[in-house]
Amino acid sequence: MLLLRLWNYIRGYVIILVEGYFLEKFVNICVHRQIFLWDIKRSKNSALTLKASIKGFKAIRPVARKTKCRVRIIKKKGVPFFLNRYRRRKAFIVGPFLFILLLYAMTSFIWSVEVTGNKEIGYDLLIETLARNGIKPGVLKFGIDTDRVVNNMILEIDKLSWVSVTIKGTKAKVQVAERTVAPELVPKNVPCDIIAKRDGVITSVIVKDGYEMVKAGDTVVKGQVLISGRVPIKNETEKVRYVHSIGSVTARTWYEKSSQVNMKRVQKVKTGRTKDHISLILFTKRIKLFSGEIDFADYEKVEIRKRLSLGEDLVLPFEIVIDRFYENNVMEEELDIEEAKKLSADSALSEVMRDIPPDAKILKTYANYVKDKNNGLVAKVTVECLEEIGLKKEIGGE
Amino acid sequence: MSVSRKAGKKKEKKEEPKAGIREKLAEMLELPKEIVMNIPKMTMIGNKDLIIENYKGIIEYESNRIRINTGAGIIKITGDLMTIKEITSEDILVSGNISSLEFLK
Repeated sequence: MLLLRLWNYIRGYVIILVEGYFLEKFVNICVHRQIFLWDIKRSKNSALTLKASIKGFKAIRPVARKTKCRVRIIKKKGVPFFLNRYRRRKAFIVGPFLFILLLYAMTSFIWSVEVTGNKEIGYDLLIETLARNGIKPGVLKFGIDTDRVVNNMILEIDKLSWVSVTIKGTKAKVQVAERTVAPELVPKNVPCDIIAKRDGVITSVIVKDGYEMVKAGDTVVKGQVLISGRVPIKNETEKVRYVHSIGSVTARTWYEKSSQVNMKRVQKVKTGRTKDHISLILFTKRIKLFSGEIDFADYEKVEIRKRLSLGEDLVLPFEIVIDRFYENNVMEEELDIEEAKKLSADSALSEVMRDIPPDAKILKTYANYVKDKNNGLVAKVTVECLEEIGLKKEIGGE
Repeated sequence: MSVSRKAGKKKEKKEEPKAGIREKLAEMLELPKEIVMNIPKMTMIGNKDLIIENYKGIIEYESNRIRINTGAGIIKITGDLMTIKEITSEDILVSGNISSLEFLK
């Protein structure tokens, strides 16, 4: 029954009032002429209301004339009437089409490029190379030949071994794999020494080829020859044999850095007052929407970016950027000695770490503190490391 | 209307010497009687809905009294708030509070 009702609603029907004296006759004739009527109700003595389909209603007219009944429409119901009502409102019809069209148009461009898998190759270089090959935000995605891009990428960037470009929604996903560079061959025919990279105390010397010049426990200075490529020949004093020396020399090394900290510290405390500058990035243009004057004496700026996207892959070319300014209160504060020590030691340590090569092993860390005259504290941090200090140097190459 | 036939009552009009042979034939061959004898088949659900199949026409239609012409004479339905829910050339569905059903000659 629900289905029938729904069907009638889709087809459209009218509720009509029939007035006259021979209503039974009217109904009988309608039935005879295969006009489907339903929900016939007696409303008054000489009138009844009934429902009929649009097609049925057209056929009812002659029947009414024949039986001398008056027919009046009370209500029109159903989809056809509903559509008819909105026929004149063009925007109603144009709107949805425009929406679909716009959405389609917007999503047929690439709005973001995502690169994954690179370790040594710079992100900027990859993006730049992709842009040169036609993958950049704002490009029509239908014109992109991913195979060609992949080939060009591999040709242009030497270190790449594999590239995959997939376009998903409005996002270009680029996955790369880097080539592992083949190890350098040892040029055995070029004679060389191994010299010290830096000062230190030798802990071990392993010589594979060449003449050992130092032994464990020796103190060496930078540039000193550790393993010589000139190997003296037995029983001969003048002549030497030139070799390409190979070996490993590890030494204890020291790194030192000092850092000064003022006992009076300037501290910035957020007051809680903030101001926002809102701007919209449409495609690649930045439009400032709302910006007021910043009258804070001291402030910090934080940029918040929000990208409009449908799901993860369908990124739309709208971006809202909120520049939030936090007001700061500048306060001066006396540091206590422990805190000052820690602070200066930390900064000195982080400085010294920059000098230490990554393959060095840190053995010990010492820190000394000295108060200087203008109310500061100097921390001197010494780091003891164990590292490979050998460096190859060609003989006579200079 | 999905009306279960089990719930309905069957009321059939008997005789008329002419119809006798037809009735016997229908019974013998297990043919539907309402077709063979041209009499109405009525299905009722409680006192709410009444479906009359194989009717001839409406004679009177008021909200408390309906008379329908059939092959078995005139059926007079009394009750109140009665409406014709559906009407086609084969069947008629009356719904409302039906209080009595009468066969008039």
